Amino acid sequence: MLDPLTLGLIVAVAAVLAFVAVLLGKAVLRRLAGRQLTRRPAETILVVLGSVLGTALIVASLAVGDSLDRSVRQTAYDVLGPVDESVRSATLEQGDEVAQRLAPLASDPRVDGLLTIRGDQAAAVRQGADGVVAEPRVLLWEVDFDAAAGFGAPDASGLDVADPGPGGVVINANLAGRLGAGPGDELVFHAYGQRIGATVTRVVPAEGLAGLGLGASANQDAFVSPGVLTAAAAAGGVQPTTTSLVSNAGGVESGAELTDEVSAAMADRLGPLTARGASVATPKQDVLDAAAETGESLGSLFLFIGSFCIIAGILLLVNVFVMLADERRGQLGILRAIGMRRRHVTGEFAIEGAVYALTSAVLGAAFGVLLGRVVVAIALRILNSYDQGGNQLRVAFEITPASLIGGAATGFLFAFLAVVLTSVRIARTNIIAAIRDLEPPVRPKTRTRLVVLSAVATVLLTAAAIPAVVASAATQTYLLPTLAAVAAVPMLSRLIGSRAALTVVALGVLAWGLLANTVRPDIYDEASTAPYVVLGCMLSFAAVTLVSLHQPVLLRPFRRLVERPTQRGLATRLAVAYPTAKRFRTGATLAMYSVVVLVIVLMTQIMTVIDRNMDQAVADATSGWSLRLDYNPTTPIANLGQELTTGPFAGRITDAAPLTIAVAEGDDPRLTTDVQLPVVAVGVPEDFTFTPPVLDARLARLPSDRAAWDLVRLDPAYVLVDTLYGSSGGPPGEPVAPGQGITLTDPRTGREVERTVAGVVRDGSPFYGVTGADLRFPVFMGIDSVVDTFGVAATQSSAMLRTAPGVDVPSLATQLQGVLVDHGVVATDLGAAVEQSYAANNQFFRLMQGYLALGLLVGITSLGVIMVRAVRERRRAIGVLRALGFQARTIRTAFLAESAFIAVEGVVIGSVLGVVITWLLYRNSAAFETISGPYPIAWGQILTLVAVTLVASAVATLAPAQRAARIRPAVAVRVRD
Amino acid sequence: MDTEESTPLLVAESVTKVYRTGSQAVVALDGLSLTVGRGELVAVMGPSGSGKTTLLNCLSGLDDIDGGRVLVEGRDLFAMSDHERTAHRARSMGFVFQSFNLIPVLDAAENVELPLLLAGVPAHAARERALAMLAKVGLAGRAGHRPAELSGGEQQRVTIARALVAEPAVVWADEPTGNLDSAMAAQVMDLLHRLNEEEAQTIVLVTHDDDIGRSARRLVTMRDGRVIGDEVRSAVG
Repeated sequence: MLDPLTLGLIVAVAAVLAFVAVLLGKAVLRRLAGRQLTRRPAETILVVLGSVLGTALIVASLAVGDSLDRSVRQTAYDVLGPVDESVRSATLEQGDEVAQRLAPLASDPRVDGLLTIRGDQAAAVRQGADGVVAEPRVLLWEVDFDAAAGFGAPDASGLDVADPGPGGVVINANLAGRLGAGPGDELVFHAYGQRIGATVTRVVPAEGLAGLGLGASANQDAFVSPGVLTAAAAAGGVQPTTTSLVSNAGGVESGAELTDEVSAAMADRLGPLTARGASVATPKQDVLDAAAETGESLGSLFLFIGSFCIIAGILLLVNVFVMLADERRGQLGILRAIGMRRRHVTGEFAIEGAVYALTSAVLGAAFGVLLGRVVVAIALRILNSYDQGGNQLRVAFEITPASLIGGAATGFLFAFLAVVLTSVRIARTNIIAAIRDLEPPVRPKTRTRLVVLSAVATVLLTAAAIPAVVASAATQTYLLPTLAAVAAVPMLSRLIGSRAALTVVALGVLAWGLLANTVRPDIYDEASTAPYVVLGCMLSFAAVTLVSLHQPVLLRPFRRLVERPTQRGLATRLAVAYPTAKRFRTGATLAMYSVVVLVIVLMTQIMTVIDRNMDQAVADATSGWSLRLDYNPTTPIANLGQELTTGPFAGRITDAAPLTIAVAEGDDPRLTTDVQLPVVAVGVPEDFTFTPPVLDARLARLPSDRAAWDLVRLDPAYVLVDTLYGSSGGPPGEPVAPGQGITLTDPRTGREVERTVAGVVRDGSPFYGVTGADLRFPVFMGIDSVVDTFGVAATQSSAMLRTAPGVDVPSLATQLQGVLVDHGVVATDLGAAVEQSYAANNQFFRLMQGYLALGLLVGITSLGVIMVRAVRERRRAIGVLRALGFQARTIRTAFLAESAFIAVEGVVIGSVLGVVITWLLYRNSAAFETISGPYPIAWGQILTLVAVTLVASAVATLAPAQRAARIRPAVAVRVRD
Repeated sequence: MDTEESTPLLVAESVTKVYRTGSQAVVALDGLSLTVGRGELVAVMGPSGSGKTTLLNCLSGLDDIDGGRVLVEGRDLFAMSDHERTAHRARSMGFVFQSFNLIPVLDAAENVELPLLLAGVPAHAARERALAMLAKVGLAGRAGHRPAELSGGEQQRVTIARALVAEPAVVWADEPTGNLDSAMAAQVMDLLHRLNEEEAQTIVLVTHDDDIGRSARRLVTMRDGRVIGDEVRSAVG
């Protein structure tokens, strides 16, 4: 079933096609449109190709969202297989009771599998001929293999193998790959403080039960016979965790639809056990919900980037049709003279436009699917590089019918509307002026009706703008005052003339775009991409308007070059004469270049500023802690501080602060989502707070960051959150503010606790991944608070280590993992992790820049199309110039110089605006307030962008320039199109 | 009589021009020969399709020929490369076309000064001479106007100013009054006659207007790509 938006788009397209079908009924219009379309096939193809890119970018952006959604879903299906619900029990007794209570569900038609397994995290070691290979994070399960084989039948359970028997183990392909192990190899597992030796009997694909995990997407699983783990745990004086798994009726995907019903039935059956920690988890549904959010968020991000390219595509269409109209001015004049009405002119263009739009929509959709595939593959590679801990997504490309139809329909409607609106302007041509190729008569003054309308619109828009600006509503703060200023143009034209009016308004819009964030600093707090689209467009259009109106002033410094009485000087004169005279088409092309270049330069500058601050960012994030150790909670490191600061590590590790960790859920105090956020509660010891991570904000009454850390350590009512808490990609928006309330939930018991945010950590990246599985937002509190809130779920399974100066941290990390393999230690080099996170960010920026480059391609294509048309339009003029004595190469040079002139102006406008906007952000935005030093400008990258754009523009113009140079004067001077 | 005056300005010998469209070949100039002396005003007349404009295009070097040769100031036009021929055209020829053919994005003065700039005249001097030439054709006050802002007659006078400003050896005029009303046409022809008589400017003009043809001292008549009449009159009215 299609969503209302897609249905609306389909209806709109159908209405347009019906309208065009009616127009086709008029033989004259049909014939004229048909002849125009087929008259110059090469140019028709160029126009369509230009518009194809616009549609392709829309479709590709939507495909990225769909595919990321699908990739996360697919990973969920692969990892969880038939498992829809689970219940974890900390004790054997409770685990058995849970299994007993759930047993009647076996006859429930909504359930097709029940399985109880026991297991916990372990470390695995293989002693091979090539040395010891260890994997610290293994999920070791004891399982009834017969029951597992039938779990979720008739669908495959993923673990349909024979019981390995005592001393045997079945491992999944992930673990086999990590250890380089195969059947017959001897492995030693470290769990519950015991060593469990086993021989690999079978390696199975990591799918379904065999890929089972507790949040991560790529798990290393091992399966032993029933009783093996229970005995080992008993020997260690502990009890293994029992997990009851439920498979809903239906396949892996369709089973998830029954989650609400089945989990409710399970909760009923568990009754009082729920309050004792045996609550129902819905892992598959949770992952699917998260997938939808991730897909939507990243899809929106790409649509945001794509929107600049789409704007470029629309400008291309407008430009092409304005040129078409100019070329056909004489024809149109004659047609109007012999009785064709304005609406007929619009109708003829509408038919033509519909053909262009339909063709480009179909081709654009196909190309968009291909483009989407490429972008998805690269995006997932980058996303996967954010995390090496097991959250690897499999690339699964998908585009839903809604996205494909919606994207194609949007492209069609944009193209069609651009054509029709342009043709309305064309139809207003003065008949005599058109026939005699004269300038349209200038109205002595703006019509009174228009002035009145202008005044009313200005007043209304100003009235709407004031509350928006007062409230710092980002999009409206930019948009409404701009619209009010634009609406005032006719009114101002009456008073001071149109040129002055446009200049004043463009200057005003430019100033407001650049300075609004100084007056209203909160506008960047909105976690939306829309303000940036509006800002980019208004700045580009305003700057282009100013440049187009005042080209002679800008060209004054080059007067000597232009006036030089040489062939080159004459070529330069011609190169600037046409763009200066044809203001609208030059302006549209400049806007195309500048709007895309602006965003590319903006990203380049942000990356440069961030790179410049890398060392400080690492220092702020790690606050002097070099390593984080994560270890198996079932085999804790006794006397951790002493163990790590003495013996082989003496003198190298100077401090070790154990962290108490608990998996939790939290709400979003900013109310940007009602989905429960994945959270990890991090309990910090006193010595950790001696040099704590830097805060971006804290309660006003707290005199220092240290005071804030002490407060949360000692007072359970307060917590600290990361600045990225609740962000989902794209502009992070306003972070959680100190003083806001946050509700944390224990997912096992459903117990909720209210906490107050005492401060916001500037960069909590060292704490993402402490659970060893999925990415969770760290929430910092005292150790007692974590234990009191989450009970047995609170484990001491991580520690922060400080190293002595000059210690080789990566080498120390490797040594720690080897020495402490019994504890399943994973040592993370925090500096490298922060840098890797920044590097992944940069890669993502690069991907978006690459995506934007497609917009630049639209601009360059447009320039090529314009120059092809220009050759035709200026055929006679070129003939005259050749007759007067202009050499062929002068004509060629003039064309190349003309495109270079337009490209340079567009790129310079975009670059200057990009640099200025980033400078304003650098000066005013809270995001950059911690960065000191002079503002860096990425000259190398910007100049490369200018050079590449120039070369590409020259290449696009080469063919038309050659064609122009080959025009024979005798033929050209007699031509009259 | 010195050597320069005794040498004809233009000599066309057995010039042939054939237009080929698919399998069809149309002979536009059929072994045409013509000599034009310095200071002459030659009118070329003939019915439509007789080859008048082709004659102008070929003799001025705007179009290639298929046979024969054309000497301008003693130099074989078609023995030159395109580059040389273009440079020669810039130095020695001016053009006036029926459709005015001004460069639409340049104003009147800029259009007129183009040939001077091509000849390497410095910008300031070129502008002065262009303005003087515009004044000569009665458009002193229209120098800053673009072609679309001028009437047909004004545009044609700008074209004439452009054709004459570099003092070319010969001015080629193809139906210079074709797009003008009779009053305008008379003004333009007066101007051309004045320039011919007062400044001995050589002018070859193609026309199908009998009055204009008869007003020239020499009238060349064409049919089917050949010269069928070449009449020099001592007095014209």
